[in-house]
Amino acid sequence: MKHLAKVKNKIGQYILVIFVTLTINFALPRLAPGDPLLYFFGETTINELTAEQKQEALHSLGLGGSLWEQYWTYLKGVFTLDFGTSIKYGVAVTEVLAERIPWTLLLVGTALILSLVIGVSAGAYSAWNRGKKRDLTILTGMLTLESIPGFWIGMMFLSIFAVQLGWFPTFGAVSMVQDGTTWGYIKDVVSHAILPVLTITLATVGSNYLLTRSSMLESLGQDYMTVAEAKGIKKRALVFKHALRNALLPIYTHFTLSVGTLLGGAVVIETVYSYPGIGRLLYESVTARDFPMLQGVFLLVTMGVILANLIADLTYPLFDPRVRNRKEEKGEEITHA
Amino acid sequence: MRKTTKWIGLTGLVLFSAMLIFAIFGPMMIPYDAYKASGPPFQSPNLEHLLGTNDMGQDLLAELAVGARTSLFIGIASAILAVFIGGLIGVLAGYIGGRFETVVLRIIDIVLTLPFLPLMIVVAVYMGAGIFTLVFVITLVMWAGKARQIRAQTLSIKHTGPVLAAKTMGASHFYIFYKHIIPGVVPIFIPQFVTGVNAAILMESSLSFLGMGDPLTKSWGSILFYANSRSAFLTEAWMWWIIPPGVCIVIVVLAFSLMGYYLEERFNPRLGDYSVREKRKKQLVKTKEHHSSKGVLLSVESLTVAYPKSGDYRSVVDDISFAVKNGEVLGIVGESGSGKSTIATAIIQQLKRPAKESGEIYFEGNLVQHFDDEGLRQMRGKEIGYIAQAAMNALNPVIRIDKQLQEAIRAHYQLSAKVMDERVVEVLQKVGLDEKWRFAYPHELSGGMKQRVIIAMALINKPKLVIADEPTTGLDAIVQVEIVQLLRKLQKELGISMIYISHDLPSVLSVTDRLMIMKEGRKVDEGPSVELSKLSTNPYTRVLIDSIPTLYPKKETVEVSR
Amino acid sequence: MSADLLRINSLKKSFYRSPSLQTKVLSDVSFSMKEGEIVGLIGASGAGKSTIGRIISGLETADSGEILFVGNELTKMKAKVRRQLAKDIQMVFQDPYEALSSRMKIHEIVAEPLHILQIEKGNLEQRTQLVKEALRSVNLEPDYYMNRYPHELSGGERQRVGLARAFVCKPKLILADEPTSMLDTSLRLDLIRLMKKMNEQEGTSYLFITHDIALTRDFCDRLIVLKNGEIVETGETLDVIMNPVHPYTKTLIEALFILENHGG
Repeated sequence: MKHLAKVKNKIGQYILVIFVTLTINFALPRLAPGDPLLYFFGETTINELTAEQKQEALHSLGLGGSLWEQYWTYLKGVFTLDFGTSIKYGVAVTEVLAERIPWTLLLVGTALILSLVIGVSAGAYSAWNRGKKRDLTILTGMLTLESIPGFWIGMMFLSIFAVQLGWFPTFGAVSMVQDGTTWGYIKDVVSHAILPVLTITLATVGSNYLLTRSSMLESLGQDYMTVAEAKGIKKRALVFKHALRNALLPIYTHFTLSVGTLLGGAVVIETVYSYPGIGRLLYESVTARDFPMLQGVFLLVTMGVILANLIADLTYPLFDPRVRNRKEEKGEEITHA
Repeated sequence: MRKTTKWIGLTGLVLFSAMLIFAIFGPMMIPYDAYKASGPPFQSPNLEHLLGTNDMGQDLLAELAVGARTSLFIGIASAILAVFIGGLIGVLAGYIGGRFETVVLRIIDIVLTLPFLPLMIVVAVYMGAGIFTLVFVITLVMWAGKARQIRAQTLSIKHTGPVLAAKTMGASHFYIFYKHIIPGVVPIFIPQFVTGVNAAILMESSLSFLGMGDPLTKSWGSILFYANSRSAFLTEAWMWWIIPPGVCIVIVVLAFSLMGYYLEERFNPRLGDYSVREKRKKQLVKTKEHHSSKGVLLSVESLTVAYPKSGDYRSVVDDISFAVKNGEVLGIVGESGSGKSTIATAIIQQLKRPAKESGEIYFEGNLVQHFDDEGLRQMRGKEIGYIAQAAMNALNPVIRIDKQLQEAIRAHYQLSAKVMDERVVEVLQKVGLDEKWRFAYPHELSGGMKQRVIIAMALINKPKLVIADEPTTGLDAIVQVEIVQLLRKLQKELGISMIYISHDLPSVLSVTDRLMIMKEGRKVDEGPSVELSKLSTNPYTRVLIDSIPTLYPKKETVEVSR
Repeated sequence: MSADLLRINSLKKSFYRSPSLQTKVLSDVSFSMKEGEIVGLIGASGAGKSTIGRIISGLETADSGEILFVGNELTKMKAKVRRQLAKDIQMVFQDPYEALSSRMKIHEIVAEPLHILQIEKGNLEQRTQLVKEALRSVNLEPDYYMNRYPHELSGGERQRVGLARAFVCKPKLILADEPTSMLDTSLRLDLIRLMKKMNEQEGTSYLFITHDIALTRDFCDRLIVLKNGEIVETGETLDVIMNPVHPYTKTLIEALFILENHGG
């Protein structure tokens, strides 16, 4: 019961977040100094427009009328999934988004799972061997990895494996020319995805590792570990059933949350590899001053984050019986100690 | 461990200082202007240009040094701002509480939910590229996390003894704030700042790499931005253009990570003192055959356990010898710090590292120190049951009671699920718990019930010896008595030997046959419980006995049935 | 031993975990204390005894009810006025390891009430005298202890510092919230004796909150037994111990009896 109430509370917060995002989207172009059209058309074009044309442009961009009217039209657009037309592509923003989403999910999804598996196993191994040479070696390695900016790993990989060695393609998600077979297509997609996936994995594995290590150490130091060991259970059960089982709780939360963050975080890595995902789209919209697109991407990513948060909240009780609470709380003792 | 931690922190400091020196003095020492062409483009390193030149013929080393200033400035400035703003808001929210706190927390939650990189990009696009835009957006996404952590710290200080005490003394808010809250919170600003710089420099490089930095000022990120947009990979000189700025970023971030790691280990003892014990090799176990003939189950011979303290080893258990016979209950009594619990963990060989142990412990005539890991495992739980302190944490919070009990059986016997469940029900009944509780999780049980489960767990394999380490501490008076009576009953019923460790003399006297009194790691007195309590002339024993508060005026002729 | 020092009238308090979940901690508690009296407040954990102490000391507010201290109604008082009364009501806490600030030296800790209440303001010498006197009254040699930090002291010594801090402004009432429960057995009676001594010398009253009935026998004049936020029995200490009326009190005392007689 308690947990459900908490989730309800959280949903209220998420609605607030969506609202804030929408408002940021709405407010920024209007708050920015100077003529809003300047952002949309650039200096040269704007001087060629007549006053009427300007007015029309303002309207088509939702910038005409009073602020409240504008806001209303804007909100209406959002709820009917109409984010306007992309300036760069000349088609609906949603259309472009739909095309790009699968690629980002492919990269981020694969990388997240790899990073989780590697990070958790290395973290658990390291914690169990705390203070030994192998722990310190892995720890130093992971701390170093944590310190490398993801895009730089990408640049290095690109230079070495794609350009110098020629093992992998240098850009994009698929080749221009296909041999027509499904198998060939899959191979092509995989070869394009390997470097970016590897890069995202390396850039995120450190935080999974560090979190696992520290929460493992925390549970290893608990009284229940002493008791479990005193029962004479085997080392494997001690590590996996008792220590890791408890350590997984914060890791799970971290994992679900990073799904959302990575959607947006992939922007630098997709840029390095010119990979046609959401992140790259964000970057392209910035350079092309494609503001409707920019707003659409930002909104989409925020929704992704919120969805991930919501899933984390709803599924957390599966992992932690303490918040499951089948019955009403029983007369718990209240002490001030 | 301590030493390595210090060493790690020092490494971080050295790396950072080196980079700082490079940023301050580099631009003065390098004879080229980073913003002007000083040679032909795409040069490989040579004597004139130590790192070569870029596509415009600018000296790369000079760029790097100028970039160091920008990157470090942005990193440090945003971290200071974020910690300062976050700190102020966090402290106020934590201290004032109420509606103000709720609102602040809501805002923090919202900021933390927003995807930070896209948010920064979107804001930066509208603000226009530049150093202050970068500082602004980094601060914008970073203050919230800092505020949350500093609020938590403030909150915990607010409820500590000194603050409560000052309140009851009639202290004003101002007094409490500047005398207790501020001095308590400011120390955590330092690690917050360190992790802040770390994150800020990474963010700066990412943003500059995407072209959000000042196009006219060089930073490490923007050098890479130009390298990327001008396809540095395709040239011969790519290595000299791409690697150095990346390495610089890694060095600075790593430096702050290492310092952060040091500060964390030093000021946040959350990670506990766990460290793994050495693996034990198989060896011939030394035996004392005559023990079994004399009915001695456990014999401890001049056991000494020492832990390092300020460079030296300090004994917590000092030359202790005793024996437990079959069916006998030995009480070990002492006040906190007397080393009594250490004896318990030494018997089951679960001393926390880095303990130094000497002396011999024989169980059934076999020297347990010679057991290998598997031998010890088979002894634990099967031959020797261990009842831990009635701490809240003795049961694993995420595993159901029946699973935890079954696990204790399965560690030593292979039984069918049905038989195991029967065994679980039986042992729960024995400790006075309804069988339905086996489907519960620990948090659904009261303190006394948890302790019954722990007792059930220790007895489930019918061990020969049970060690009960302060089994009643932390329980209510009435529950304490119930637990003591339960232990007594079970011990008699099963005829097992027991070591009962406690600081609570009355309960020990009611359970034990023989008593050992400890003080500061040494044995000060030993003898049959009743005689010891009435006749001992040892001054320390007398102090302990006489300081027991009694309900009824002491009569010299207390009827004793045991 | 004449006028009421403290009078509590139908004190009520609930904690709200959420709007739907409310836990009653105190339901209608009333009692009074005379000047110079030592009253023991007994009960298991969760009985609400600590909450009473915290409400009187002002750390928590009651939902309803009155607290009269020498005729002054505390609950309706403005915070500023109430602070003046702090001189007469001091508190001793349960955990000696937590109650003293690790950043302050012993003499600073003991002098803190003087500082806060601006007693002998500007007169450093007089203050030092008061601190020394307070330390001596708890058998701590001032010259040895004044300039030490709490971490250099044992648990028993720390708790005595806590007591000295309460004594230093010579309050009329000391609220002692389980001051002995974290101490080793051999030190408990020592602390009780020190408190008793102050009662005999200065007439200090105590509200002694504890779960340990045995400790109250030689210390308290009167006992109040609390269960689930209600007073179930009151009376002279020895009366309650020898002839408990309420079944709960009987169980409490029986439990101790069993132990004292080594399990019978």
